[in-house]
Amino acid sequence: MCQEKVLSLQNLSMSYGSKSVLNNINLDVYAGQIIGYIGPNGAGKSTTLKIMLGLIEEYSGTVELFGVDIATSGYSYKRKIGYVPENAELYDNLTANEYLTFIGELYGMDKSKAAAKAKNLMQQFDMEDVLHTRISSFSKGMRQKVLLISSLLHNPDLIFLDEPLNGLDANSVIIIKDILEQLVAEGKTIFYSSHIMEVVEKISNRIVLLKDGEIAADGTFEQLRKQNKQGSLESIFNQITGFDEHKQTAEKFVQIVTDGDYDE
Amino acid sequence: MMSKFALKTLDLLQPFFRILRIDYAMMRKILETKLTMDERRTPTIFASDASNKKKDSNQFVKSLLIYVLYGLILVPFLFFGNNYIFQISLIFGISMFILMTSMVSDFSAVLLDVRDKTILHTKPIDSRTISAAKITHVAIYMSMLTGAFISIPAVVMLRIHGIAYFMLFLVAIILLILFIMTITALLYIFILRYFSGEKLKDIINYVQILLSVGIVIGYQIVARAFEIVDFNYIYNFSWWNVFIPPMWFGAPFELILNRDTSLGMMILSSLAVIGPIVSVMFYYKLMPAFERNLQKLMGSTEKTKPKRWNMNAMWEHLFCRNKEERQFFRFSSLIMAREREFKLKVYPTLGFSLVFPFIFQFNYLNLHTFEELSHSNMYFTIYFCMMFIGLVVMMLQFSSKYKAAWVFQVTPIVHHSSIYSGTLKAFIIKLFLPLYLLLSIVFLFIFSIRILPDLAIVLITAILHTLISYKVLNNRKYPFSEVFESTQQSGSTMKSFLLMFVVGLFFLVHLFFSKIIYGVYLYLVILLVTTIISWRIVFKMK
Repeated sequence: MCQEKVLSLQNLSMSYGSKSVLNNINLDVYAGQIIGYIGPNGAGKSTTLKIMLGLIEEYSGTVELFGVDIATSGYSYKRKIGYVPENAELYDNLTANEYLTFIGELYGMDKSKAAAKAKNLMQQFDMEDVLHTRISSFSKGMRQKVLLISSLLHNPDLIFLDEPLNGLDANSVIIIKDILEQLVAEGKTIFYSSHIMEVVEKISNRIVLLKDGEIAADGTFEQLRKQNKQGSLESIFNQITGFDEHKQTAEKFVQIVTDGDYDE
Repeated sequence: MMSKFALKTLDLLQPFFRILRIDYAMMRKILETKLTMDERRTPTIFASDASNKKKDSNQFVKSLLIYVLYGLILVPFLFFGNNYIFQISLIFGISMFILMTSMVSDFSAVLLDVRDKTILHTKPIDSRTISAAKITHVAIYMSMLTGAFISIPAVVMLRIHGIAYFMLFLVAIILLILFIMTITALLYIFILRYFSGEKLKDIINYVQILLSVGIVIGYQIVARAFEIVDFNYIYNFSWWNVFIPPMWFGAPFELILNRDTSLGMMILSSLAVIGPIVSVMFYYKLMPAFERNLQKLMGSTEKTKPKRWNMNAMWEHLFCRNKEERQFFRFSSLIMAREREFKLKVYPTLGFSLVFPFIFQFNYLNLHTFEELSHSNMYFTIYFCMMFIGLVVMMLQFSSKYKAAWVFQVTPIVHHSSIYSGTLKAFIIKLFLPLYLLLSIVFLFIFSIRILPDLAIVLITAILHTLISYKVLNNRKYPFSEVFESTQQSGSTMKSFLLMFVVGLFFLVHLFFSKIIYGVYLYLVILLVTTIISWRIVFKMK
């Protein structure tokens, strides 16, 4: 693994009003890593991504991407980043071709080059027949593929993925996993944020667990397993986030469901 | 085609954008995409069908025709001599109202599009360029809209007042658009700074409602204004005039065309130039803050406090027969109060029904005294408040979240008849009754207690009419279960017009009985019995 530092967060803190979201995060990421970025809802995962993408500016601490501080470097660092947002936001009045070309151009690509590349990539997903169809008619899985293509079109070095497998069928999931692995082999860095622990466990070569705005665990899956004496990432996750009451909660829940106070 | 023209025109302004350090090529690309999307907006039903590109004419262009008609309202003012400060201030006051409310209601979506945040701001583009694209996008539409709005007045103007007047008007209206656009954006910045995104959406919703009510009522007021206002009025400058923007734009006409170089005119005229420029500068400064606060629209973590249910619980138990009826009463009340699209389509008509009964009384007052009015039978104008019932009852079947109606299909509802009876009761009690009570109180003041039985008749007629409207128009199983787009089915529009005649019929019967001694009481009893029986029949439980 080459040791080029792609991303570095130093004392990163962020709060909305009085509510602290990120608390003194320190993280260095090197080229060729797939980071499984996990944590319970509201732990600050999306906020971290948004800060690195320049969507949020009022943080404290330093964020360095590709060795430059993004607070002072201007926007050009974004050229090397690809991003799949969590809730499949895209301009769905456009056709897949129009959308992908537009995004390519936004990343500074040549129009015809972006169009050709988009077409080729769509073909690989067997979607060439819907290239000129509006995205609004696409299924959730198709949209997700379009989003994925749009994030990779410009050959980025650092890729942020927020629940990228949302709505994809089992076969597509396998393809995407393989794509990610090969991208990393090419020296790309992937920041993978998800709630599906099985996938994170398999894909990532490093796992960072966020809890209440702080890094609660950081290491390979093997390391985490040794430290926590648990078999799967899911149970490690439960242990670290202090959630050991799932049995009791489930029992209570079912008890309330089956409680016989339903009157006809 | 239209967007190509707009972009070509924009190319002429290229140097201006370069001065502001905006990446013009990138901005043009964003605009081109946005305009393409706009041309495809609305008919969601055909969304899957990309092949019929020819039908993709921009809905907006069609709506421009309406603005051409709106423009007619300015024409009469042009005939009022050379008292420019008065005449032009009125014209600009009206223009400002119409343009600003349209800006809020039609283009807020552009200013507040949060998809831009994830799609554009994550790309290597200067945020100043994105903001510029946004405001230019709005500006393109605003200039077309304004162009349509002033097209007829412009022709009249050229004929009556000549070219100098027209050129001055053109410059003034451009300054006005700049002012309106930036002031609206500044208003949003302010609201987003202190309130949640949901609050802003509510405010926009109410402005949309205000626009539709304002235009209709505005016409009525303007039409009457000429009888009241004295156009030979001599203008004296007062300090508070500087806070009325339409007057800024009236002043240059006095200054240049009438050579009135008094201090007041100088101050107001300079404000016509300074005002827009300062607001643009503020906008330029605050835009980054605006983009940051837009974040609020994406995640609403706002907690609503559970409201006191006492009132609703009371209504429910007073008027609903069984549990299911109560449920749907509650559900429908909530939807009617919260769904923005429903409110947008229905609340303006509520406004009309509140105003129309009085408009005819004002007409009457033109020829008669108040004393005569209070002894007349002009209280029958209260029937106008019933005109909208048919429309609202029709609207009760639509919702923007119509798909959620599957819950009615999968749940074991026992009394299907209770569904709509609960909904109709919610409409009568939550929407109609407040309106009716308000009108009744005012009417009792005007016409004295003698009209009490007549008012009772009106209330019962309204309930009966609601039932008839439901039978004629609706007759569906579940409320709020159809998509809004299907509203335009010609059949139901025809029917809702017919229902207005039914109201007329009710009025005639009422009028007839009012001529007979004790006829009113007789009619009241007949009506009451009929209503109760027909309600029972329509919503009979199996």
